[in-house]
Amino acid sequence: MEEIIQHLTPLLKEVSGYIFPNEIELHWGLLVVIYPYLTGLVAGAFILASLVKIFDVKELYPTYRIALLTALAFLIVAPLPLLAHLGHPERSYEIFLTPNKYSAMAMFGFVYAWYLMAVLLLEIWFDYRKDLIIWSRSETGIKKWILRTISLFSSDISEKAVKFDKKAIRIITLIGIPSAFILHGYVGFIFGSIKANPWWSSVLMPIVFLFSAIVSGIALILIVYMFVLPIRKKEINMLTLDKLASYLFYVMIIDFSLECLDFIHRVYESEESIKILGELVSGKLFVSLIVVQLIIGMLIPLAAIGILKIVKVPNDLKKQIYFLSAILVQVGIFSTRWNVVVGGQLFSKSFMGLTTYKMTLFGMEGLLLSILLLVLPLGIMYVLFKFLPPWEESRSN
Amino acid sequence: MLKKLKSIPEQVIRLAVILVIIVVVFVIVRAELVPDDFGELGHYRKGAVDEIASLELKYAGQETCEMCHDDILETKSNGYHRSVNCEVCHGPSAKHSEAPDEFLPSAPRKRDFCPVCHEYLPSRPTGFPQIVSASHNPVKPCITCHEPHNPVPPETPHECSACHAEISRVKSISHHAYLECKTCHEVPEQHKLDPRGNAASKPATREFCGKCHAEENEDYPGVPQIDLAEHEPRYVCWQCHYPHMPEAK
Repeated sequence: MEEIIQHLTPLLKEVSGYIFPNEIELHWGLLVVIYPYLTGLVAGAFILASLVKIFDVKELYPTYRIALLTALAFLIVAPLPLLAHLGHPERSYEIFLTPNKYSAMAMFGFVYAWYLMAVLLLEIWFDYRKDLIIWSRSETGIKKWILRTISLFSSDISEKAVKFDKKAIRIITLIGIPSAFILHGYVGFIFGSIKANPWWSSVLMPIVFLFSAIVSGIALILIVYMFVLPIRKKEINMLTLDKLASYLFYVMIIDFSLECLDFIHRVYESEESIKILGELVSGKLFVSLIVVQLIIGMLIPLAAIGILKIVKVPNDLKKQIYFLSAILVQVGIFSTRWNVVVGGQLFSKSFMGLTTYKMTLFGMEGLLLSILLLVLPLGIMYVLFKFLPPWEESRSN
Repeated sequence: MLKKLKSIPEQVIRLAVILVIIVVVFVIVRAELVPDDFGELGHYRKGAVDEIASLELKYAGQETCEMCHDDILETKSNGYHRSVNCEVCHGPSAKHSEAPDEFLPSAPRKRDFCPVCHEYLPSRPTGFPQIVSASHNPVKPCITCHEPHNPVPPETPHECSACHAEISRVKSISHHAYLECKTCHEVPEQHKLDPRGNAASKPATREFCGKCHAEENEDYPGVPQIDLAEHEPRYVCWQCHYPHMPEAK
């Protein structure tokens, strides 16, 4: 009791108005912010890769494999924040063994497994199979065996087999797009279906989540592409970059329109919660929502890329603006997740008061672990890029 | 048949093998790890019910206490704490019921125990006895004035605010601050001793508020006044105006 009182007393000073006792402390913290952010990057990166294949966008071919491997690296890390948040990761396999079809959260394992195994790994395997066989022939020692194992000891690189690979990739891509929509739409669904929370409960939530995911995924690939190529001392292809920026621009317009629609809808409906939500947006969320998410993360990058579409500028300046815009978009989308997850818990269900979120530095819910989880996919990407080089010149043909 | 098998692309066969391995492993692991009685009653193990039922009992239950402490029960059954079970204050006492001399239940005597329920909190129901412990007879343990098994106040409260703390606080900053509660409520003397059995009255008509707020009444200069016949005639006043803070929107 003493301990609880000591823990809650400093938080109580931050509470304004009237709130229920169990609302003083937030139940979903930084880790639950990171989870939708990471899955969004996965879905976005994969959808970009799928667009390349389905619409045969030649300019974006150099980013196809980068996007697939980036999606895989982030997908591997995506469930970790949940495991850390829930505790007892050693029990997590039970959601597979005894599936509860009445719980959207409990079905996460299957949505995740389907996306990982039936879509992402399969597409990467078919795309790399021929290269793996050829690379393994020129390698020796353990790397040879790793490559052979990844290729499942496949050896057929006849024209017919490669043709089949291409056909399979096309089919998987077609299944993959709705699967990616389901993966991230599902995350939005989890929030959107919480009817007791007016900040979350909206049928638009899965769609807004999805488009913000595509925005963040494309921006991430743009950053990775612009970061990795100079390191490898390769020239950045401006056509590729312009195309990526164009896609980013158009999807951001859709995302922005959807968010505006959501906003207008809420204001026009003016349900009983509107007053406290207004207080929330103009007070505790002002910096993260209006300044970071809207102005820094949306309007400035939109304006910057929009201006580049009209005004001709030197390529070097263009690159810098694209890179900076993509970074701002990432900050903005992270802020979006923050505003949804944390924002939705800052107001009382009595609609009469606001609480505050106190982040810890150490521990399973702390800032340090969260930073580690955000950096971990980059480490995995490094390993994946080493073993499965996504560069055009590494392709066997 | 063999020819047909040979025409299946090599990739498909390799992936099929992996798929079969995954499915077989999943089926075996599931058969091994999921208890047989899982799902018989619901999304849990049937055996868990018996396991939970076989856990050591810590609470004896009020009926057990009554077997020996019938004198206290009699005191308690007439008091406000009649619906509060013994073990709410005395803690789990199953061991005490089995070996009364060996295990003694706790008996809270310190001042910080009673405020767990009786400290003033806006969310507590109006009429529930609440105090601000910092100013309510500081330092004195509660039991020096209140008998916990029949906790009547040592003297009848003088002010309505003793029980109606929240209303009193709201009213104290409203335009009705200087009105006594009895201006609008008729309070039987017995209400102080048995509040629910002798409820205070509440105004029932528009005309009641009109005594001060009707236009024709000139006794109250400065009081907001309206034409009772014209001003929202289909409603009673308190549908729009909260009487304890009438200026609130």
